[in-house]
Amino acid sequence: MKKKTTAAHIVIILIGIYLLIPLFATAVYSMFEKWTGLLPEGFSVKHYLTLFTEREFMSALFNTVIICIVPIVITILLVLLALFAVTVYFPRLEKYVQILCMIPYTIQGVILSVSILSLYAGSKGILDNRMVMLVGAYCIIILPYIYQGIRNGLNAVNMPMLLDAAEMLGASKLYGFFRVIVPNIISGITVSSLLAVGIIFGDYVLIRNITGTSFKNVQIYLFLEMKSSSTKASAVFVIIMMTTFLITALVLFLKNKEAKGRAKSAER
Amino acid sequence: MKNKTKYLYLLVLLPFLTVVILFEVIPLIMIIINSFFPDKGGSVTLENYITVFSKPLYKKAILNSVYISCVSSGIGIIIAFFGAKAAHESSGKFHNAFMRVLNMVSNFAGVPLAFAYMIMLGNSGVLLQLGKEIGLDALANYKLYTTSGLTLIYVYFQIPLSTLLLIPAFEGIRKEWQESSLLLGASSTRFWTRIGLPVLMPSILGTISVLFANALAAYATAYALLMNNYALLPINVSGMFVGDVTIRRGLGGALSVCMMLLMVIMILITNRITKRFRKGGAKA
Repeated sequence: MKKKTTAAHIVIILIGIYLLIPLFATAVYSMFEKWTGLLPEGFSVKHYLTLFTEREFMSALFNTVIICIVPIVITILLVLLALFAVTVYFPRLEKYVQILCMIPYTIQGVILSVSILSLYAGSKGILDNRMVMLVGAYCIIILPYIYQGIRNGLNAVNMPMLLDAAEMLGASKLYGFFRVIVPNIISGITVSSLLAVGIIFGDYVLIRNITGTSFKNVQIYLFLEMKSSSTKASAVFVIIMMTTFLITALVLFLKNKEAKGRAKSAER
Repeated sequence: MKNKTKYLYLLVLLPFLTVVILFEVIPLIMIIINSFFPDKGGSVTLENYITVFSKPLYKKAILNSVYISCVSSGIGIIIAFFGAKAAHESSGKFHNAFMRVLNMVSNFAGVPLAFAYMIMLGNSGVLLQLGKEIGLDALANYKLYTTSGLTLIYVYFQIPLSTLLLIPAFEGIRKEWQESSLLLGASSTRFWTRIGLPVLMPSILGTISVLFANALAAYATAYALLMNNYALLPINVSGMFVGDVTIRRGLGGALSVCMMLLMVIMILITNRITKRFRKGGAKA
């Protein structure tokens, strides 16, 4: 038995090292003047300093934050409203809403982006706007995750009962939904929005295909930068990865908290 | 009266339907329809599909995509099997640290991943320098900008995903089975080949189809590494619609449909095999 766990530990260490080497190497690379020999030479943080004083990088960062927030807020509102209408008034339509929400799981970002682009580019009206196309595409890409998060939340609360109670107390159903139900499922919504942030933050294909390089997020910035200066790009890389890890850690933390909370209420 | 207000609530559903129809339903339907119309104008034809399957460039793109997806999924699932087995057998600090690493790097893909590999194994990469210093020619002359280099990077992002997907399946392997097979004289290898693997097979196949889809759709990694100089389905599909070239809706549509069909075929194959395994299990 002892031998078995030792073997397991060796496998874990080997895979762990394999997975961490690229991260570690690039992080070290970003903190030195040059690395052309066996060891890196000249420790410095100047790549980071230049980045944070550079307007172009800061605007890429700003763009990224905006393009993460807007589609997620829109999608949450759309799904909340749709699920409210469907569960309260049209239960028969529910499975169609579900199908529409799950289709994006199976279509690739490349195909979604080119199909939206070829359909609306050059058309008249608001849909010709590249930003409108991009936000629309992101809404669709994150739809399955947001839907699943809200659906799971709604399954956990007794919605008809709560809404009836709210109505008896004189509130309308829609008011009751947003003031009673939504606060109850907010933790599920938070987790799925963070997953969505991770997806949009890591996206390159949709933004490149739809907006070209006219709207730069940090991924596009990294792509352009790595063609010219690999040391500066490695600092961008570190910032991107740190943000990604932060988002993942937050998701794990919230999920664990929720699981613990559920275990506790089950004990009672 | 009551009924009327009820249908008023269809309005609440309207924003959702508008966005989904505009950005999901119509674009997908249109790309399929477009694939049956020639780019020069004319009536319904299979011309685009004939081009896809006869022109060497597109054939190469399909073959490369299928090859890289299969190889990276194959290697990925083998490593994931041992990784998930180790995660299952370990506990405490080791287990938690491993889970944390897997979760963290599961989002490490696309442009950043390609960049990290270029830093390590690119033409003047850190590891290549190391190879030169210690006189390891295989490492010093490594070529990252090739099919095998691309596959190597794909394998990297397949590992955390597949391991995370397989770990829950190992919960289904009971300790009692292992103990009783040991008592009956079976070696550990024999236990895994005769009992463990068949039990896990549905999960393994499911994971493989996720990995295949994941590799097939990966665009950013390949594009960051090789730009447009490589025949690969997602790169060729994008190339038909984006950039200075004239947009080729028909041919691009046909390539997109081929890409979607590959996914469907993969899902059908794994479903079929899974069913066989489940049936076999029921008989026994």
